[in-house]
Order: sequence, then structure tokens, then C-alpha cells
Amino acid sequence: MRISSTKSRFLAVLSATALVATVVIATPARAAAVGPICDKKVPVQTCQGTTSDGAPFVMMVPANFNGTVALYSHGYRYNIDLPAGMLPSVPAGYKVTNTPEPIPGGNPAIANYFLGNGMAIMGSGFARQGWNLDSAITTNVELVGAFKTAFPTTKKVLAWGSSLGGIITQTLAEKYPTLVDAVAPMCMADNITPELTAAGDVLWGLKTFFDPTIKGGNYSAGAAGNAEAIGDIVKVLTVLGSLKNSVSTGAWPATSSATGKALEAAGVPSRSALLLVGLMAGLPTQSDHFDSISGPDGALKLTFPLAVSPALAVLENAASAAVLAILATQDVELQVGGAVYDNTKTDYSARVEESAVIYNAALSGNTAINAMLGALNPANPGAPRAKGNADAMAKMGKMAATTAKINVPTIMMTGVADPITPAGATQRVVDAYAAQLVAERDAAIAAAKKSREYKAPTKKLVVLWSTTPKAYTTFDSTGAPITSTPAAPGTNHCTFTTANYLTVAKMMVAAGNTGKFPTGGAIATAARKSGNLSVDKYFRAPLLKYYN
Amino acid sequence: MTRMNRRTLISASAVLAVAALTAATVPAQAAEVGVTNSEIKLGMTLPMTGTASPGYNKIPGAMKAYFDYLNANGGVNGRKITLKVEDDQYVPTQAVAKTNKLILQDKVMALISPLGTANNKAVAASVNPARRGVPVLFVNTGFSGFADTKKYPTTYTILPSYVMEAKIMAEYIKDNFAGKTLGLVYQDDDFGTDALKGFTQAGINFAVKVPYASGSQGAATAAGWVTKLSAAKADVVILFGVSSATAAGLGTAAALKYAPQWILGSVGGDATTIKAAGVPAGVLYNAVGASFAPATTDMTDEYVKLFSDIYAKAVPGSAFDNNVLIGMNSAFVAAQAIKAAGTNPTRKSLMDAIDAKGASFASAALLPLNYSKTSHIGYSGYWFGKYSPTGDLKPVDGKYVLYTTDSGSGAVVKSTWKRPAMPAKGLPQ
Repeated sequence: MRISSTKSRFLAVLSATALVATVVIATPARAAAVGPICDKKVPVQTCQGTTSDGAPFVMMVPANFNGTVALYSHGYRYNIDLPAGMLPSVPAGYKVTNTPEPIPGGNPAIANYFLGNGMAIMGSGFARQGWNLDSAITTNVELVGAFKTAFPTTKKVLAWGSSLGGIITQTLAEKYPTLVDAVAPMCMADNITPELTAAGDVLWGLKTFFDPTIKGGNYSAGAAGNAEAIGDIVKVLTVLGSLKNSVSTGAWPATSSATGKALEAAGVPSRSALLLVGLMAGLPTQSDHFDSISGPDGALKLTFPLAVSPALAVLENAASAAVLAILATQDVELQVGGAVYDNTKTDYSARVEESAVIYNAALSGNTAINAMLGALNPANPGAPRAKGNADAMAKMGKMAATTAKINVPTIMMTGVADPITPAGATQRVVDAYAAQLVAERDAAIAAAKKSREYKAPTKKLVVLWSTTPKAYTTFDSTGAPITSTPAAPGTNHCTFTTANYLTVAKMMVAAGNTGKFPTGGAIATAARKSGNLSVDKYFRAPLLKYYN
Repeated sequence: MTRMNRRTLISASAVLAVAALTAATVPAQAAEVGVTNSEIKLGMTLPMTGTASPGYNKIPGAMKAYFDYLNANGGVNGRKITLKVEDDQYVPTQAVAKTNKLILQDKVMALISPLGTANNKAVAASVNPARRGVPVLFVNTGFSGFADTKKYPTTYTILPSYVMEAKIMAEYIKDNFAGKTLGLVYQDDDFGTDALKGFTQAGINFAVKVPYASGSQGAATAAGWVTKLSAAKADVVILFGVSSATAAGLGTAAALKYAPQWILGSVGGDATTIKAAGVPAGVLYNAVGASFAPATTDMTDEYVKLFSDIYAKAVPGSAFDNNVLIGMNSAFVAAQAIKAAGTNPTRKSLMDAIDAKGASFASAALLPLNYSKTSHIGYSGYWFGKYSPTGDLKPVDGKYVLYTTDSGSGAVVKSTWKRPAMPAKGLPQ
């Protein structure tokens, strides 16, 4: 049925919303290379099936399909079950799921935008959870083919994704540039080695200072490994809880190592050691509730942002990232057959050279910094370095990865203080594209010398930085920071508003249709109207520490 | 008609095409950010409030006093200079946020006199003025690292580096306090590290070194310093910190009846600030201090006379002190730089002008500026003096003896440089 009137279009959108809501909570039966089987409903039909690798998928196609389909890739999902009561964020526990996700988080407003404008949406739940870049690309390629076969009027394929789904999207566009017309990797993860280096640095730092029984990697296979990983999660969260409780006194957790206790005896507050761990790993010093700028009225107005807030931000970020850090490490170790984190040659002093100046007061001054870095020196037997398995690390290096090449119009959006997929992952693409554009311009000039016709390369990358507010830490009447409010924009992981997603979606659709972006002014206006997005071309996020 | 060969034509068309592309992607704007036909906008961050603010929070008022004087006398090529000031409370993250505001929201042409080593480093790393092509003029920090023109290509220092100061101070100690037991209180960051580097290079051995974390300075902390210093029986103690640390150290020591020979670093040696913090002038008496500018009480000095007159009219009732003099001097040097940048100054022409002509800019200092294409170093030396019974720093024996050196291994030597006469009315020529 063709929808023609405004009223019927509105009804169709509402129906689509309901369908999306239904779909994202249903788990289709797992079967090999089935479908798509469509329900033929109007105004939006839903098609389900599984790809040949067993990934369940969903396609939602409006009756007035205009030939454009948006493929969404979801983010990282843990690949082991977690018991109830373990994580505050999922009190009922976590069960591994491969539920398809055709739009970010099942957001109905975003579905409405696509479906209401005659575009289709689709997404799978992938064949496996955990780090699945290799298999997810295979799944997506097959999914696009299946859609085109089922809907031969397809003209434009857009791809977008969040977090792990962001790097899946980017890598898809690199490997299959003719398959997609525009892409939008959002809060994109970096390649697995830099990501797990950051994860390993956090875990190793916490282990070395605060609890030497944390494994931090090199987990056993099978159920034993699951138990070790879950045990690590409990220990890490316990340590972070202890550090939170002693942030004002600077006392160290009872589980601290001899190295940690020696630092405590030397007068180094535990919050400074925690901050150092965060800086070593590249964790942001702004988090959901701590801006490292604001202080409560009274005596701590200045001291709090100078000496305390950065550590609390690292604590909050570490808590956000810890579970994923542990479970991703365990997952990849299982995939490649051994420990993948190796810091035997890491120079942590060099890592924090700049940040130790900026956060000098919160680190309790150079004397404390030198004492902590000295304690982390490889020569200290009380701070043994982690040695990776060479074969496993080589295998990890051969896993699918992004080269950061931009082949098609690409819109990136990322939080400047995302602790899980740091903004540096996006910065790496920005840097690579700057070099790519120079090379393309040089080539165009060289070609012009032969053809007498200069054809300027088309700009293919737009980056929307999700920025933090100028100041956002709030305090209660006693001066204690309030942490019950929602995470500030630009912090936590993929903390985007519906308006932000729609801004990206609209840019992606337009770029997919025209092959190019509008002028910088139009993009800046769209970003500003969206809220907390910046297109500041001079902004520079620090790369992940692996690249240092 | 000039005949162009084919190669030239192709190259020209390619260049034109590139130029057209560039023009199409860059929005039309005024000749330069922060510059209009009637105004040039500068911006600065510094602690206007908070622990580290005493004394330094007079600098913006001093700079504005000079700029107002300049503007009343026609400005620079008809443009008035305006100064946007943001309070960073000496917190690096605040400095980043406030600098972002100045550049992105207020759209200043250049940053001027931002204060603090950590703050400037944070801004360099996070805001990246160099990448944006924003000049960072005359930073109020003596951290020697900012002289690295590869790392900080748009930054210009003006204060002698802390390494220089320590090296020169070491010479003074050797000449005047040989054999004495030495103590040092220093800020436990790059500010202090630079000083330690200079003292070490000069071969000075301290019986006791007392670091303090930035922001921790206060009477309670200072009591701990005094305990350590007196336990080590230090006869001569160098206070190498910010003004609030100097005041805390002097005040607490006096209360605890600990009275070594004090030597005050230039950063925290402003007498007005120290006295304003409650330290009696008598405690300062005979302490040794250093400066690169003339004594603020020296009304025979034409700059001191002019600047103090201007300041007295602009900020009645506020004492003319070293922070004021240095602030006004930086404003004066900036005005010359803008003038030298041409009738339609740009960020680039401003920096080019300092590189090309900065070494010849007039200034109140008793040492020359060292700017060139390869050097963004301002002054490079000090004279020593003693605080009078009223707490004023005056040269020993009433005569300025200037010492100069570098931040490396160069020797400390007496300067023979003679300051040229002040330009008419203290205005850029």
C-alpha cells in the first residue's frame, strides 16, 4: 500500500516504531542461511532470517521504499554470561544475546526518520559476540547482498555503527568501497591491539598498585577462564570501590601490593596512584560526573578540581571500562590462543610526560610522581611486567583492522571523553585522512599537468566531536559531588542524544545521495543545532597510548 | 602578449584550481580573526581568584591601564587594543576551558601573558594554539621548555627562564654566602624542576630541599617546611615559589621565630603581594630578591615614572609593584609587535614581526629581548637587590649589576647592555 497522505504517513511511522520495539526484544531462532522471510505487512514489512554464518538479522522496509537502506552494526556485547547482582548496570545479570539491532539502541525516533522517509533499515546480531570484526564484516557483506536480492530496486546502501560497530562500519567501507555509498562510524573503537593495550594498562596498573591477585589477562580456557575473568571483575570493582571511599584520606586499599604499601608509607595518596594509572592508559580526566574544573563552594573550591576531581574522573571511567576491558581481553585471548598484553618494553614515564605536568597537583607533585614511576620500573621486582604470548600476539595482529582509509563519504561522531572507545581512535582516522587528502590533491595536480584539467578531490570526511559542557560537576549542600545524574554529554560511552543520531543520519543520507558533503558552514550549523556537537577542525584528541 | 608555454599554463591552471578549491572551502571572513578596522582583540588567562592569585591578579589591570593609555593616544594604526581576561584559578583544566573560550567564542587575535607552567602546557596540549596559528605572546612563566620553537612555534617567552634565574642566583650565593648551610623550598612541578636544574648545573648543594605541591601552599603546610629547614640548620633559604608560597613561608617562619637569610625567587618576590598577605615589612627586610626590571620605587627611571603615573590614574589607590610593572611592560612590548606587524596585522605577520624586529623592541627591562627567527626567548638575566625596611626591593649599593646567562651550560656573565631611551611618551613608534 502506498502511503500518500500526511495522516497515513504518520500512522505508518507509529506502526514502524512499534515494530522496531518488538523486533529489538525478540530473538529469532538461529538457523543457517535462511531468509529473508518477510511478513508483507504495510506500511512497513519486517523481514527476518539468518546469514550463512548464523547471524540473525532483521530488515524493515517501508511500502514506499525509495531504494536507500541503512545497515546498522551494533557495538560490543559480552560473550559470557554474568551472574545477577554483579554489575549495578545489569542487576539481573547478563545473558549473551545475538538479537538483531537495526538501529542504535532500538531508538524509535531514528527508525521513524528512515522508515517515514521511505528508507529501509537493517542490522544483524552477528554470528558471535565479543570482538568480532572479522566475522561481522562477512556477515554485513552477505546481508547487503541478501537485501539487494530481496529488494532489487535498492540504489543506495548506507552503513553506520557504534563502538565496535563503528570500526566494523569503517573497515567495511575500506574493504568494500563499492558496496556502500556513505558510512557513519560512531564512537568508533580503535583496532584491537591499541584497545587491549589500553585495557591491559589499566588492569596492570590496578593490579600492581592495589591488588596483586588481579590476573589482568592470560586467562585459562573454558569455564576456568570465565571464572577467572569474573573474579577479576569483582576484584577490580572492589578496588575501585575502596579507592572511592578513601579519596579524601588518600588511604590505600587493604589489598594493596607491597609496592603500593611502600608508596602509601612514603605519603603518596592512593588517588594520585589511581590517576597515574589512568594517565598511563590514556583514560580521560573527565567522566560522567567529574569535569576536573568545578569545585564546591567553600574551602575546596579550588582544591577539588586541582587535586581530587581528575582522580575521581579516572575512577568513574575505570569503572565504566573495567568489565569490557577484562572480558574483551579474555575473548581475544581465546581467539588467538594466549596472552595478548605485553608491557615489558613500555616506558610509562614517557607515556605521562606531558600529563604529569598538567595534573601535577592531583598527582601530588614531582616527588610523588617520581616515586610512583620508580615503583613501576621494570627493575622493581614488586612490579613485574606482563609478558604476552608471541604467537598469540602475532595472530591478534592479523585480525581484521582498519587502515583508516576513507573511500566513501564518511561522518564520524565521537565523545571527547569516552573512556571505552577513546576519541583518539577517531583522531587517527582524521590524521590519516589529512595525509590521504594531500596525496589525492598532489595526484590531481599531477594529473592536471597531463590532462590540462584539474579535478579537485572531493572531501569525504566530516567529524562531529561530542563535547563536554563547560562545567558540569554538581555538589549537594554538604559539598559532596552528585553522581546520580545522567552522564554528561561527551562522556561515558556513545552518550549521544536522539538529535545527535539524527544529525548523523541525515548527513549520511544526503552524502549517500550526492556523494559529497555540504559546505562547512552548513555542517557547523547542523552540529550546533544538534547540541553538544562541534566541528572544530583544530580540535585534536590524543591518540591511544599504544601509538606513543 | 607574453607567450606562456604549455607546462606553465597547466601548472597555472592547476594552481588556480587549487586556489579556487581553497577559496570555496574557506568561509569569507575579515582579514584576521580578532582584528577589525577599529579594534584588535587579545585574550589572557591567569588566576584572578584562588590560592595562587595574590599579586598576579593585578596584571590584567596593569595591562589594561597601558592599553587604555595607548588607545587614548590613537591606538595602533588607529585600532584600539582590547583585552579579554579569564580567571583560570591556576587550575590547568580551567586554563584549557577558558582559553578555548577566548579563541573560539571571543575570537581573540592572540593570547597574551597567560600565567603558569602547567597551565600553559595544558593549553598547548589540549587547545593547541600552534596548530591553530594563534600567537601566545609573552607567557608569564619561566619554564625553559617553552623556548622550544619546534614544540611551541607560536609561543614567545618574556621572563628569564627558571634555569637562568637559578644559575644566576647560584653565582650570588657563591659570592655572598659561601660555606653557609643552604635550604630550598620549591614548587614540586616543572617550575621547581627547572630551578633544580639550574642550581645543579651551578654546583649548588642544598642541605635540605623542601618541595610543595602546587595548590598546597598555606600556613599549615609552611609549618612543615620550617620544621624541615630548621632541623637542617639552614642558614640561607631560597623560597622559589609563587607569591602565596613565599608569603606563607615568610609569615610562618616569623611566627615560629625562624629567621634565616632569605633569598626570594622573582616569581614570588613581589613585596606588595607579600605584605598584602600579612607578612610585616620587617620580615622582608634584608631578604635578597631578583628582578630584570628596574626597582618599582626608582622614580628616576623613565619607564617606572611613566608607567606608575599611568597606573595611578587608571587604578587609583592600587600600589605600583613588580607585577604591575611587568604587566604594563608586556603590554608595551605587545603594542610594538602589533605596530611592527603592519597596517593590516595578521596572526602570522605579528609573529613574523617579533621574529624580525623583536630584539629591537623597546622595553622597561634592563636586559635586551632575544627574539629572532630561531629564538622565542625574552629576557635572559637578573640583578640582585635587598628589601628595604619598608619592604621595597632595591639594588645592592644602589647600583644595578646585571647578570646574564642561558638555559643551557653557558656561563653566568655580567651584562654590559645599556637600555636605549624610552620612545616618546612610551608609545610604539
